[in-house]
Amino acid sequence: MAPLTPYTFFQCPCSEPSTLGQPADRSSGAGAGAEPDADDEDRAFDPRAPRSNYSLYPLEYLLYCEDCQQIRCPRCVAEEIVTFYCPCCLFEVPSSNLKSEGNRCTRSCFQCPVCIGPLTTTSLESHPDPSLLAAPDNSAVPHSGPYMLTCSYCNWSSTEIGIKFDKSNGIHAQLAKLRNGGTTRLTAKEHKERRKDLLQGGGPSTRTAEAAVDGRDLDVDTQFANLKAFYQNQLADSSSGGNGLSSLGDLGFASPNSLSRIMSIYTGGNLHDKRSKSRIGVMREALDSDEGLKIANLDESEAVEKLQEEGYDATVSTEQMSNQTPNLGEAPLHGRGRFTSELRPVPYLLRTKRSKRCPICRHIISKPEAKVQATRFRIRLVAGSYIPSITIRPLNTPEANPGAPSDTLQPLKPVQFLLTFKNPIFEAVKVTLATPAKTPGRFASKVTVLCPQFEIDANTDVWDEALKDGDKDKRRRRGEDGPHQAEAGKIWERGRNWVSLVIEVVPASLRLDLLALTSPAGGHEVDTGPLREDEDLLEIPMFVRVEWEADAVGDEIGSAPNKDKEGREKRELAYWCVLGLGRVSQS
Amino acid sequence: MAAPTSTSASSSSKRHSILPSVSQAGPKPPVQFSSSITIADSALLTGSHMIVVGSESVIHPRARLDSSGGRITIGRRCIVHERSIVGGNAATVTLSPSRGSKTSDMLLSPLPSSAGVTLADYVLVDVGAVIEAGDTVVGEGTTVGVGARVCAGAVVGKHCTLTPHTVVAAGDVVPDFTVIYSKGLRRRDLRGVPELRNKGQARQIEVLRRMIPSNPGKFSS
Repeated sequence: MAPLTPYTFFQCPCSEPSTLGQPADRSSGAGAGAEPDADDEDRAFDPRAPRSNYSLYPLEYLLYCEDCQQIRCPRCVAEEIVTFYCPCCLFEVPSSNLKSEGNRCTRSCFQCPVCIGPLTTTSLESHPDPSLLAAPDNSAVPHSGPYMLTCSYCNWSSTEIGIKFDKSNGIHAQLAKLRNGGTTRLTAKEHKERRKDLLQGGGPSTRTAEAAVDGRDLDVDTQFANLKAFYQNQLADSSSGGNGLSSLGDLGFASPNSLSRIMSIYTGGNLHDKRSKSRIGVMREALDSDEGLKIANLDESEAVEKLQEEGYDATVSTEQMSNQTPNLGEAPLHGRGRFTSELRPVPYLLRTKRSKRCPICRHIISKPEAKVQATRFRIRLVAGSYIPSITIRPLNTPEANPGAPSDTLQPLKPVQFLLTFKNPIFEAVKVTLATPAKTPGRFASKVTVLCPQFEIDANTDVWDEALKDGDKDKRRRRGEDGPHQAEAGKIWERGRNWVSLVIEVVPASLRLDLLALTSPAGGHEVDTGPLREDEDLLEIPMFVRVEWEADAVGDEIGSAPNKDKEGREKRELAYWCVLGLGRVSQS
Repeated sequence: MAAPTSTSASSSSKRHSILPSVSQAGPKPPVQFSSSITIADSALLTGSHMIVVGSESVIHPRARLDSSGGRITIGRRCIVHERSIVGGNAATVTLSPSRGSKTSDMLLSPLPSSAGVTLADYVLVDVGAVIEAGDTVVGEGTTVGVGARVCAGAVVGKHCTLTPHTVVAAGDVVPDFTVIYSKGLRRRDLRGVPELRNKGQARQIEVLRRMIPSNPGKFSS
């Protein structure tokens, strides 16, 4: 198994309600379960608990709120959308367009339905080859002629479904009017106009002709429009049969006329009732395709034949099917394409640029530039520039046997790791570390931090450091006398803005039979089940407390501007983090 | 470490290449070149069997033609790009995937077949592609993409497209007009324009002949 790279995760305070608000008084400890609050604070953070999985993040994922002086994680920040844009053409889409046209690009950006690569518009006249980059006699590609969409990766083209375009731009609109195979379909608007023309001009003959055309292949959009118009007509007819109070046919079911009609049914009837009943128009269902009726075609023998001919590879995979947008030109359900030869190009999903806010003080933590092409940020407060980063590497002392495999940690053999704390801020910080003596979980490893309290210098400029080179040579490697040895209470090495120290770990033995012997005598049952997933992972929860001095920010406007040393205030930040060191070998 | 590309050092306007110099190790194979081919100076030809290169083909610098596993036949108007290996044995290629290591166990003994690799006309072997020896046939008009791998004994049909980093397993038969993409997925290419692609390749060859200084005499003994 590949060796596990040591990692560090930090815990966001949002997962512990006690750190978010004021510390609750002890008497109301019953709210969070049976444990009183005192026990809650004393209990060490358990990285193996299922809940802690949701609060641990690597340093790169965390943000920092300057007002609250706290870490914020991707789960607790509030996001607001800055812009919507298409990832293919980088066109910014105003949010009003989103409500009307949907969350996909409505220009000419499409994805190949087979391999999700980008589709390019090519002319059908001469098929340009992408390997023609250095062709000297580049015959001018005719810019007229029908166009098609081609995928340069899997060589799919829209001619496989029989679709060609007249213009090279605005393909989304052209595609909406085409069915597979090249036949046109009418959009909902055009259907309405046709209906209006029919009502004005035509007689029953033209009406049946229309119905015949539509009945053959009634698509989703048309069926919905027809059905909606039919039901509206029905409602108008039935409600206009009531008393003359409401002659407006478009009141619908909530009209007072309908309500009185329904109530009269329940309150028992007499002559009055019969009269009103006769006046109630009976609503009927749709009878033909012009009114929105579509008879399901349950005969799938064509599809079965095609499947037998072309084989399993010609059918659509789950991902390909889920990528498809609803095809308004084809009938729903029974007309849904199940073969790759029926797949239509997929318009690109729009992406967003978001700004993030602290959930408590509403201070903006991260704000990208509104311009789509710019990848910079206007405001970017990341935790990496406020809290010390921790890197871990194993420390190989000379007495370690050279034949030991470095993949996994050997149980019951003490191992030393070197932790390097790097300070990103411009002030010197004092760091205090605390770890439980035994790691939580079934197999407890012993942990000792050799230097739990130390100071890291400020992150000054490199040039300042180089100019003051005289005394810096002595400051390096403070804590070394003769051979480099790990001593308790002393750091290992120090640099401009970093400090490294040694942590000694004795990994636990993963033997289940010893588990019963070594468990503390307490009367509660020892879990001797088999080794669960990740129980051999050696993770150390560590409580880090960082203290530093910063310039006091005067809140009152009229305060006297005294910036002497008494104006500096002490600030501190404390959080849990988890050091993952490696896996313990099971032998 | 720098290998000067031109002999005149004083008035050389060319940059000195920082790439490691190409060393011609191994036995020099018997060759049969057509008169109109373009073969770069730093192409690597090794092996004991015959290497035949058809007319108007282009062999880029640092392309390797290894005929130790069998005879290499390259058709007309083929292009073999840099760092590609035509004819390598599975055991000799260091970056073989885990599946390839199994085939290397089978191919440790030298193959008795005389035809190691056959590339038909208009084949494009892109940068870093590997075509192993062992009766491997690549059909006319096929594009073997960047880093693709055709294992020993495979027969690839005509006008196929092997997208970059795809693998054709040993002994596999790929029908004509197939596109192999993603992780071994296949589909039938229905564009129906192989002539256009061949025309494009012919035009590319014309340009390459002007750009690559050819030195076939170096390899013919």
